[in-house]
Amino acid sequence: MSVGALTKKIVQAALFHEIWTAMKVTFRHMFHRPITFQYPREQRTIPDTHRGALGLLRYDDGRERCVGCDLCEAACPSRCIKVISAEDKARPLQRYAVEFYIDITKCVFCGYCVEACPVNALAMTKMYEFSTHDKRALLFDKKKLYEIGERHLEDGKKYLYAHNQEQNVEESREYRYYFPQSVLRSTQPPPKHLS
Amino acid sequence: MGLKPATNPDVEAATIELTIDGNRVVAKDGVSLYDVIAMTGKIIPAMCYHYTFDPFGSCGMCLVMQEGKKAPVRSCTAKAAAGMVIRTEGEDLFLARKKAVEKHLSVHPLDCPVCDADGHCELQDMAFEHGVTNLPNAKQKFIPEDTRSLVLDFNMNRCIACAECINMCKDVLMIDALQFMKKGGFNQVVPKGDVALQCEFCGDCLAVCPVGAITNKFSKYLYKPWQMKKTATTCNYCGDGCQLYLETKDEEVIRVTSPLSWKNKWGDRAETAKGHGGLCVRGRFGFEFIDSKARLKQPLVREGDRLVEKPWLETMHLLVDRLTEIKRKHSPGAIAGLITARCTNEEAYLFQKLMRVGFGSNHLDSSARYGHMNFVHAMKRAVGIGRSLNGWEEFTKAKAVLLIGSNVTETNPLTSVRIKEAIRVYKAQVVTIDSAVTNMAKLASHPFLIKPGTEGLVIDGLVKTVIDQDLIDEEVVRKYPEAFGALRAAVADLSLEEIAARTGISVEAFHEIARIFAEAPRSIILCAEGIVRKADGYRNVLKLVDLAWITGKLGRPGCGVNTVTEEPNEQGVVDMGAAPEFLPGQARFDDPIARERFEKAWSASLPAPASGLRLVDILQGCKTGTIKALYVVGENPLATLPASMEIRSALEKLELLVVQDPFLTETGRMAHVVLPACTYAEKDGTFTNLEGRVLRVRQALDPIGESLPDWHIMTALANAMGCQWEYQSVNDIQAEVRKLVPGYYNLGQPRRVEPLPDDYLANGYAADVRARYAAGADPGEGGRPFSLQMGQVLTHSGKLSTEAPGLMKIAPNTGKLRMNPLDMERMKVRDGSKVRVTSERGSLQIGVEPDQSVAPGTCFFPEHFNEPPVKDLMTVSVDAVTGVPAFKQCRVSIEPAGSNQT
Repeated sequence: MSVGALTKKIVQAALFHEIWTAMKVTFRHMFHRPITFQYPREQRTIPDTHRGALGLLRYDDGRERCVGCDLCEAACPSRCIKVISAEDKARPLQRYAVEFYIDITKCVFCGYCVEACPVNALAMTKMYEFSTHDKRALLFDKKKLYEIGERHLEDGKKYLYAHNQEQNVEESREYRYYFPQSVLRSTQPPPKHLS
Repeated sequence: MGLKPATNPDVEAATIELTIDGNRVVAKDGVSLYDVIAMTGKIIPAMCYHYTFDPFGSCGMCLVMQEGKKAPVRSCTAKAAAGMVIRTEGEDLFLARKKAVEKHLSVHPLDCPVCDADGHCELQDMAFEHGVTNLPNAKQKFIPEDTRSLVLDFNMNRCIACAECINMCKDVLMIDALQFMKKGGFNQVVPKGDVALQCEFCGDCLAVCPVGAITNKFSKYLYKPWQMKKTATTCNYCGDGCQLYLETKDEEVIRVTSPLSWKNKWGDRAETAKGHGGLCVRGRFGFEFIDSKARLKQPLVREGDRLVEKPWLETMHLLVDRLTEIKRKHSPGAIAGLITARCTNEEAYLFQKLMRVGFGSNHLDSSARYGHMNFVHAMKRAVGIGRSLNGWEEFTKAKAVLLIGSNVTETNPLTSVRIKEAIRVYKAQVVTIDSAVTNMAKLASHPFLIKPGTEGLVIDGLVKTVIDQDLIDEEVVRKYPEAFGALRAAVADLSLEEIAARTGISVEAFHEIARIFAEAPRSIILCAEGIVRKADGYRNVLKLVDLAWITGKLGRPGCGVNTVTEEPNEQGVVDMGAAPEFLPGQARFDDPIARERFEKAWSASLPAPASGLRLVDILQGCKTGTIKALYVVGENPLATLPASMEIRSALEKLELLVVQDPFLTETGRMAHVVLPACTYAEKDGTFTNLEGRVLRVRQALDPIGESLPDWHIMTALANAMGCQWEYQSVNDIQAEVRKLVPGYYNLGQPRRVEPLPDDYLANGYAADVRARYAAGADPGEGGRPFSLQMGQVLTHSGKLSTEAPGLMKIAPNTGKLRMNPLDMERMKVRDGSKVRVTSERGSLQIGVEPDQSVAPGTCFFPEHFNEPPVKDLMTVSVDAVTGVPAFKQCRVSIEPAGSNQT
């Protein structure tokens, strides 16, 4: 060790140099706004792409978007979705989900189901606070999922937009396909963009 | 006619050599080039091709390059020829195929997410394989979906006009219910005449549709193909023993699929000789009884006049106490048992062991007694083994088929497809002799309508014609001169003219039938309900054997006498010894060597050799009070036999009636104890089909409710009765059967039967035959001009199918008597008007409906329904030798009911 270095070390030790360096950080932070915020009184702003709880969406006229195609079920890597589909008796030829379950305790929030959905019926919302005393309440059924979808409709739409899945609602309705009519009863006029 | 099958017993196709992708390939001349390529292991895409029918060539996918041609050729329609040089791969072919897919896809709706074929769609697969991602000129068709039919929905937007459905229906099944029609600017598949589809509903069109254009109403939108568990099992509706896939999701049966599908298109057309893998309406759409709401889920015990649900343990305690008490108080012989032929072989085996060893009684019988026993006994007497002699392949390749008293399309639809293939591909001559205008009669080369109940006389006439016309086989006659002499003497007194007058077939027709039958190199006789379920069934089967042996058809390859069975395991229950006269393996019950063998194997003594009551005697015994306890497994005598048998009062006299059934049947409602049993979908086991093949039944579901498999209940019962049975699974029972009946399972292949008539023809034949041909006097009409027939209809099987809502929707009980329109016109009754039907046994008022398939002078009512109780009009005659009750035909008078008379 050279003489210069040794002298420097002694001087620094005498003047408590490390303490001053540490105190510098402390004093600097005295003038900062605190980063910690008081959750849950204060809430963080969440980006549109955030993957939160899943919700089912309706069209603006209140009709269910979901056609019960089970593709979300097929896409789900943690197998937390179960769809039971059938033909809608009121609207022949219309396939719909009689029951729809998402076990949110198993969900890994990958967003594959939303991507798989051909009618953009599923969307992820900014809702992430669903802790509960009863674990059974975390098996979201169709009613609960539509509730979430209704409450967080704007978030859901923003999610779809942000993930480049949907430009606007009218277009999403006419997205990809339509249902043919029955010989017995006409149920549904051909969609505008196709007629 | 397009391409012929590669192998044909008559003509052997020449062998040719060609080059495929640089390899030399040997093939048969005249075969589709596609088949030759497929046989080398290369799979080239094809959407309209299936080996069961002639190539159609509409999809343009199976393109190959042939040397010397500029453009690619369609390999399906091209015939393989010697010296062809074929290339099946390459960039140019890939692009050509891609273009074809694009062409199909551009007019195909992209509604895959809601399409039932999603994931099981050839067009989807092809689009993926060829990387079709962009469709420049896509357009939509907007054809409304045809939902008029009860069973199938036609969504013609999705149709790719491959015509597989039409070809299947027309060529293979010869039903011809579908056609192309130009409608709304597009060629569409529509039901014939563009009305609601009304056909046999076999659903084979659904199976071969490579896209989702034809969908099944019963399972529409309920599934995606990948979600379901697929269990290969055997159908439990008839003796055909078709293999099917039960597709289940959780604990629910979603649909039934067949081995036949657009996916199995690679093969040789000759393979279909063993069955094309399709199903019928019962197999494909009659699955809903399995998880029906009506299923029994808990044991029931009678308390007063009610049946109360009780836990298993309590029920079994009560049951065993009562049985032990009856056994002690009376004798083991006071217990009797009946089993249905819808149980597996293992269960039939356990049942007879339980009855004989556990209860010590030989009073046991099965539903094979309703008819099949006539055939079994006759064949056992004549050729030494009690079953049909031929398999499906021999049916298909027959040159002459004599169908007598068999409406095979209705009773055993897939056997009828074999005969249809014999007509279509192998050019067989088919003679149908029946008292109804059957579906087969419409396709047959020689259909004959006879007067009801004269089947036996027709055979008399045929035997006589064969002898008179010298159509006999010299070699056989030289071998058994005495037997032939006796037969010739027996038929000498018969007058063909009189027989012709009584049966309604002309003398010339007799000559023709006899000539066709005797001269064909491979002749098959198929007799069924019209022979074995009617009076003198045993004698008539023996007469058919006579007809076969004097023409030299007995023992010759491809010839023989056969029957078909209504229930899936009628052959199996007989083979397993669920009959008082048989031990397992059709050993005679009074055969001391067999008895000793089984006594040793079971370490128990068998009931006395002569004991053992048959079905009718058991029910008689209940009435007279010699039988105190009856153990009924799946059988339902109360709903099957006519009221004149007084079954109800007989069952009321019993001290203990135990019914073990998946459903609460009429007999079950009278029972003291009802045990819930599983259906075939919830248990393992085997069925023996009419070919003698032993087919696996596999468990697809967990038992519904607290029901248990029959073998499980029987094991528990036996152990409670003091036996030491250690069966943990069906495999343990199979191991025991294997030991006692060696070679029975035979890896699911039909066992070759070598008919051995030597003993029969040498010993005592002469005495038999004299009585056999003593034609009785014409019974006449006796003032009752109509013949009432009861029989099976296509959509139903026994009483089981009435529990399947789908089948009931297709064919509900109309409660109407079917009559020929001419008779109705003559009697001045309209569809729906009421008539009074009177027989010896009583009379009832019933509506009528016209049915072209019912011959004039006869009327028909399906045997599956008892509302109104038409069966109670029947008279019962019991065969002296076999104990088979015949109650499917009687003479009635019909007059318009008072209120409708004008």
